[in-house]
Amino acid sequence: MIKALREEVRRLFEEKKVDLVIGWGKGSLPMTATPVFIHKAEDVEQLIWDETCSNNLAVYLTKDKRQLVQTNQKIGIVVKGCDGRSLVLYAVENQIKRENLVIIGVPCNGVIDKKKVLKQTEGKEVLSARFEKERMVVEGRGFKTEITKSDMLSRSCIHCNHPNAPVYDIFIGEPINTDSDVAVYPDVEAFEKLDCETRWKDMVESYSQCIRCYACRNVCPSCYCTECFVDQNDPQWIGKSPEITDTLIFHLNRNLHVAGRCVECGACERACPADIDLLRLNRKISKEILERFNFTAGLDIDEKPALASFCENEKQDFIMG
Amino acid sequence: MIKIEKSEFGTFIRDLSAEYKLFAPVGEGRQSAFREVSSADQMNTSIQMTQNSPKTVFLPQTEVLFEFNGDDIQSGEKAAKPMFFWGVRSCDARGMNLLDKVMGQSKQRPDDPAFQDPYWKARFDNAVILTLACHEPASTCFCHWTGGNPFSKEAGDLWAVETETAYLIEPLSEKGKDFVKTLSGYHTASDKDKQEIKTLKKQAESCLRPAVDAKILKEKLPKIWDDPLWDEVSAKCVNCSACAFICPTCYCFDIQDEGKKDKGKRFRTWDCCMFPIFTKEASGHNPRSLARERVRQRVMHKFNYFWETYGESLCTGCGRCIRVCPVNLDIRDVAKQLLEAASAV
Amino acid sequence: MKNTYIPIPMKVDKIVTEDPAKTLRTYDLAFVKDADLEQFQYLPGQFCEMSLLGMGESPFGIASSPTEEGFLRFTVNRTGLVTNEIHNLREGDMVGIRGPLGNWYPVEDFKGENVVIVGGGFAFTTLRSLLVYLLAHREDYGEIICIYGARNPDLFIYKDELGTWLKRTDMKLHLTIDNEADGWEHHTGFVPAVTEQIAPSAEKAWVVVCGPPVMIKYTLPVLEKLKFPDARIITSLERRMKCGIGKCGRCNIGSQYVCIDGPVFSLAQLKTIPDAL
Repeated sequence: MIKALREEVRRLFEEKKVDLVIGWGKGSLPMTATPVFIHKAEDVEQLIWDETCSNNLAVYLTKDKRQLVQTNQKIGIVVKGCDGRSLVLYAVENQIKRENLVIIGVPCNGVIDKKKVLKQTEGKEVLSARFEKERMVVEGRGFKTEITKSDMLSRSCIHCNHPNAPVYDIFIGEPINTDSDVAVYPDVEAFEKLDCETRWKDMVESYSQCIRCYACRNVCPSCYCTECFVDQNDPQWIGKSPEITDTLIFHLNRNLHVAGRCVECGACERACPADIDLLRLNRKISKEILERFNFTAGLDIDEKPALASFCENEKQDFIMG
Repeated sequence: MIKIEKSEFGTFIRDLSAEYKLFAPVGEGRQSAFREVSSADQMNTSIQMTQNSPKTVFLPQTEVLFEFNGDDIQSGEKAAKPMFFWGVRSCDARGMNLLDKVMGQSKQRPDDPAFQDPYWKARFDNAVILTLACHEPASTCFCHWTGGNPFSKEAGDLWAVETETAYLIEPLSEKGKDFVKTLSGYHTASDKDKQEIKTLKKQAESCLRPAVDAKILKEKLPKIWDDPLWDEVSAKCVNCSACAFICPTCYCFDIQDEGKKDKGKRFRTWDCCMFPIFTKEASGHNPRSLARERVRQRVMHKFNYFWETYGESLCTGCGRCIRVCPVNLDIRDVAKQLLEAASAV
Repeated sequence: MKNTYIPIPMKVDKIVTEDPAKTLRTYDLAFVKDADLEQFQYLPGQFCEMSLLGMGESPFGIASSPTEEGFLRFTVNRTGLVTNEIHNLREGDMVGIRGPLGNWYPVEDFKGENVVIVGGGFAFTTLRSLLVYLLAHREDYGEIICIYGARNPDLFIYKDELGTWLKRTDMKLHLTIDNEADGWEHHTGFVPAVTEQIAPSAEKAWVVVCGPPVMIKYTLPVLEKLKFPDARIITSLERRMKCGIGKCGRCNIGSQYVCIDGPVFSLAQLKTIPDAL
């Protein structure tokens, strides 16, 4: 499949259909891919596609990289299901010109979470990893272990039911058949079942690890404000230090700002240097949005976002009690 | 050289924590850090490197400079019980020395105590650092690029190495010598022990990957100041601060006031040159508005600017930035690319 | 041990509004503690961080000269949060001051030689400090020529003093505004052009330039044309600052920290710092 991907991209360059292609290349660490920017056909050999390709590349079309979008460059971008939903979101929110994008979909069975692998090796460094259909084989100094691949899936992928980009120009291989496209949230439900005090304690403990590096915000495609509320100083909304109240306000506000817009790609929790489960609250909000508005972000290019439109027969129980 | 058998280690630690505020590696994975301990079983003695460096203790992320109440100002300086750091790797020990050059001293005003950071000095000057030799450098370790070594004795007050059955300790500084004088009842290392050290050192060095000489990099970097390569190198950076916050030698901070005009506090908190608004001025002008300018700033500061002033690399090759970067921007690859471009000029 | 992060208290003694639009105000601050007054030794070119507790700090060049005892003078341009609050201060209010910070104009090197001062707009603050200092030690220095430009007559600062300096015979002050104005008796034209016209001699002379970036950009080539060597062209850089003592990294350019290696730099030094100009 990698061969097919490279061939397609080469063809796009040769037919002058793209000026730039954003995809994944092999990273400098085992089990790691890295974003690559391909400017010419000769460089297509850098592209890969496998279970390490976790970055959501849509992020490079907005924020500080906005200049890529504004010049009328034709950009090709390789996307999984969740990434592709980010592109739909961008089209709905007028952040991209659809006609300038060549969307290349790839079939995704989930990306792995390196932290889970490290738990399996008891913290011992993995020096090389090989992926097979059902399992992965990891080697380090003095050990070689076989692990069931599906046990290593990133939190975002465990309950994913949108593995294919909803909108694409080219699809490499065959789109994946999902058993159902009903969203399930057993992880959120488990959290909801806990009593309030336990949930609060868990949250404070977890978010106290936050060092406010903003990696989560910066890798999130839905977070593209030119001036983020945390950077404003007139008025200043939150304190700059990682004091727990300020930290919680940052995260909760960010979660609310991406409410109904989050595509649950998991980039936030994978980027976090302190291993906080940042996806959990985003998924909780997505569940709420689904229940209240029967809306899922990034699927339909013609559907208005849930929180940016009004529908007469929406649930109004919050008013009526 | 003193030998503390592993069977004696628990007592040694317990005694140490009575004399000092004892810090050691605690925890696992990405939440591991140097924290206060009172017994050996609270420590993580098998961790190769903590995610959070000792910087989190010496230059805490947030620190109150002073509190004010009307016109009365109370300094945030605290007189602390002397600290002892067990298990600091040489990259981190060197890192703390480098930080001391900026915070505890002043190159520009060497004789003026007004230009020394009192908060830093209260901690660093009163700390005893034990540098623990590194048996199994990770694949991301590159201390040898910057003149370091897993068994380096260049930094710290004491040096120790773990053998099969014991810890062997020797003093490095005057503070270290004074500390060793307080130890009694322990054996001294035998010749066999010293031989074992040689073997362990060789094994550790065999884990290291081919190096780039940071000195050559430092000389060549100014040649490619304007090279379009910086656009390529910075393209995938998302401008967060994960690398800087986790780095043992990054020290940039912001100063903010909180409270009201008559009661509140002034504190400092870590900041990062990678944030787009770091250099934004009140007029709106931003000297480093482009990602390429900020990535260049970080690389140049670590491998050139600091060297110009202090004669050594600010990067100690610990490799944490490589592990933590959400887009796998590997500073080693960047260094190699830059060196290649500079050699072509 | 002295903690340079903690400001000393000072009292606002006198406020002068410099322009009709009230964007520029000059503050004379008096020391509250005698010990602070005694210890505060500075030279022209240095700056202080002015603190409004609870709000923040802002750096300002010291406009008074060390030869004027007992007070410190600062001129504040209203642009952001802190400066807006400073403009709300009344006589008798308290502020915090940290300083003196930074390096100074090389007045020792100037001795026995001529000094040319070129300033623009409200960047004239430290130049006032320099001028008053030189005049207080008049015999130590040769010819003193000052060229000061502002967009229009309203935007000059220290207007009363400018009047007295114009009358002095031991220095020559040239004033200029951008465009013609009724009743204006002095030069018209941008500072770089007027400097070229006046053509001060570079022979045994130093030149100190302070002004908005665009003025400096076009004045430097004029000075080079007039044959001033790079090492004798002195300027003061501005960058966003926080700690003021070379620790927090905010003002770092190249291997220099503007707050402690500067803000006074010679053109020769600036040319070795990438991105300084």
